[in-house]
Amino acid sequence: MFQNPEIALADLPGTEDVTWQTLDAAYKRLRQLQNLILVVIIAVPVGILTTINPVPIIPRLVLWAVGIIVAALLFLWPGIALPKRGYVVRDKDILFRKGVVWQSVTAIPFNRIQHVEISSTPFDRKFNLAQLQLFTAGGSSGDLKIDGLNSAVAEQLRLFVLEKAGATVEHR
Amino acid sequence: MSTADHDLWNRTSPYAILFFLVKIIRILMKNAVQSLAPLFALLVAYQGDLVSKLILGGILLATIIVFGAVLSWLFFRYQIRDDSILIRSGVIKKKQLDIKFSRIQGINTEQNLIYRALGLVTVAFDTAGSSGSEGNLPAVTRSFADALREKISGDDLTTIEDEETLAPTQKLLLKLDWRDMIRIALSDRRALILFAFIAPLMEQLGDRVEEVVESAIQSETLAISQLNVGTGALIIAAIIALIILILMLFSIGAAFLRFHDFEVTLDGRTLRSRGGLLTTHEHSMDLQKIQTLRLQQGIVQVWLKRFTLTARQAISGRKQRSGKVFTIPVVTAEFADKLHPILLAPEAGRLTQNPRSERFQKISPYYMRGRILFLGLVPASLAAALMYGESGPPGLLALLWFPLMSLFAWRSWKRAGYMHDDDEIVCRSGLLGYRTVALLFRKVQRVTITQSRYQRRKNLASLRLFMASGSVRVPYIGHANARLLRDYILYRVESSQQVWH
Repeated sequence: MFQNPEIALADLPGTEDVTWQTLDAAYKRLRQLQNLILVVIIAVPVGILTTINPVPIIPRLVLWAVGIIVAALLFLWPGIALPKRGYVVRDKDILFRKGVVWQSVTAIPFNRIQHVEISSTPFDRKFNLAQLQLFTAGGSSGDLKIDGLNSAVAEQLRLFVLEKAGATVEHR
Repeated sequence: MSTADHDLWNRTSPYAILFFLVKIIRILMKNAVQSLAPLFALLVAYQGDLVSKLILGGILLATIIVFGAVLSWLFFRYQIRDDSILIRSGVIKKKQLDIKFSRIQGINTEQNLIYRALGLVTVAFDTAGSSGSEGNLPAVTRSFADALREKISGDDLTTIEDEETLAPTQKLLLKLDWRDMIRIALSDRRALILFAFIAPLMEQLGDRVEEVVESAIQSETLAISQLNVGTGALIIAAIIALIILILMLFSIGAAFLRFHDFEVTLDGRTLRSRGGLLTTHEHSMDLQKIQTLRLQQGIVQVWLKRFTLTARQAISGRKQRSGKVFTIPVVTAEFADKLHPILLAPEAGRLTQNPRSERFQKISPYYMRGRILFLGLVPASLAAALMYGESGPPGLLALLWFPLMSLFAWRSWKRAGYMHDDDEIVCRSGLLGYRTVALLFRKVQRVTITQSRYQRRKNLASLRLFMASGSVRVPYIGHANARLLRDYILYRVESSQQVWH
């Protein structure tokens, strides 16, 4: 029997009272480590060059001061940005939020998902992490990337999303 | 290849060589430097005067092209199966293309003057998905193309709409006349670009004309002093007018070439356009595949009171191709509103796409602040400070950038707007002209709400709707409103039982 009950706008499910799932705690450490490696890769040659070449003391101090501030920011940033990221899996869609200054919430209905991809870098695997990408039509790269998921959770999510996407049989 | 297999493969008519000729010339022109370099080197090495070198080069090039075209035709085979078409091509690099009928979004045909005399057409298959796999079938008869279209779309129709197949109705929606050609020509941006190219030449031309006039006057033993400033200005004005006239004629000619006898018909659930003077272009698009409907008005079109209407279907991931766009080059706002419910499925059409409609809701004026500040004030004061240091008080002219940008910000705020009902949303934007985009909620792919720090303070947000054909942004609306719209759109998408493509 076909039913088409009227839905009052006020009754539509909102996103106010959802509980956002946070990313894996190990992800913060991984990002900090990655940023630290980046800082070392840049700082070591710069340090060597400025000691070998006769650079006046004041520019050198300024350079070091800027370098230390940037390094500190890079180290602190994952702690600021990552808690702002989160996802919610609902019955019919998945929500993802991110952003510190520009905050955004993206929603993808399961019946629009074309395919799902899990990827992990060697770093990710060391920390037992994975990235989940959801693709919809018309997008170029992954339309929704959730990185820093525990690899078991990522696999679980992948199966769940696929099942949901497949279950939504469309009638013409 | 076994002989049994061999029998299944068809070759197209030898006239297809013409198609390959054009194709090869196009490729050569695209890679002009690389492809012509060896030939050029050969010519430099060859002893002889310039004329004979050029003749030899021309003959060589022509031979290579013709030879290539004949080979391409010889190696081009196709096979039509129950559910797909296979195309084998390539002389050195072999390529086999397997196009499933279900993946074909539209079939476009093209007919040049020679093909028209022979009753042949070139069929181009418009497919969704991986780019670079678009197929062509050159020089087949029109009845063959029609049968193929029937077979492919019939495949679709029998499974989808049973009633429609019983009574296929062909309805003429629109036909352009010569006045429309002139409108197309006037609003053609390419004419302006051409003008920009020719402008530098004009100066030289002016000098040449001056010389000619001078010598003519001298030969008639007139005193040069009689050629006063007024006459000179008149001559230059005449030259400019002449050039504009010639450009206009070119533009009108181009419009006739492309859109002569342009007509749009509705064939069941398929939209079809046909037009062109020497080469007849035919495009088709399935109504249900339309993702967005865009009504655009350039600055000249504002004055002409005409619009360009485009219907877009899903783009493939890697690159956007113009083949996925169905264009009606010139329509009035009233007619666009009449087409609107037909093109955007029956549930839509209570809204208007006319940008001058009173029904558009304004977005928040805070939209202007960021633009005035970061596109206007900051660059203007920086540039003024720099240029003041360089060249003194005249450098302050850079400050004029600020009021200009403020004006632009005000204009784009004034022209931004949106309206929606239960099924669709129409968004308006524009700076010099107007653009309105209409889309059905149930075809949305994903939704994003974004808030900057400033927007959070003012309780505003920007809503972006991602379609399979690109995204549409509704900037600076109330946060609560954006959320309600988002939740409603999600509800519509998630409860939709219809396909979006």
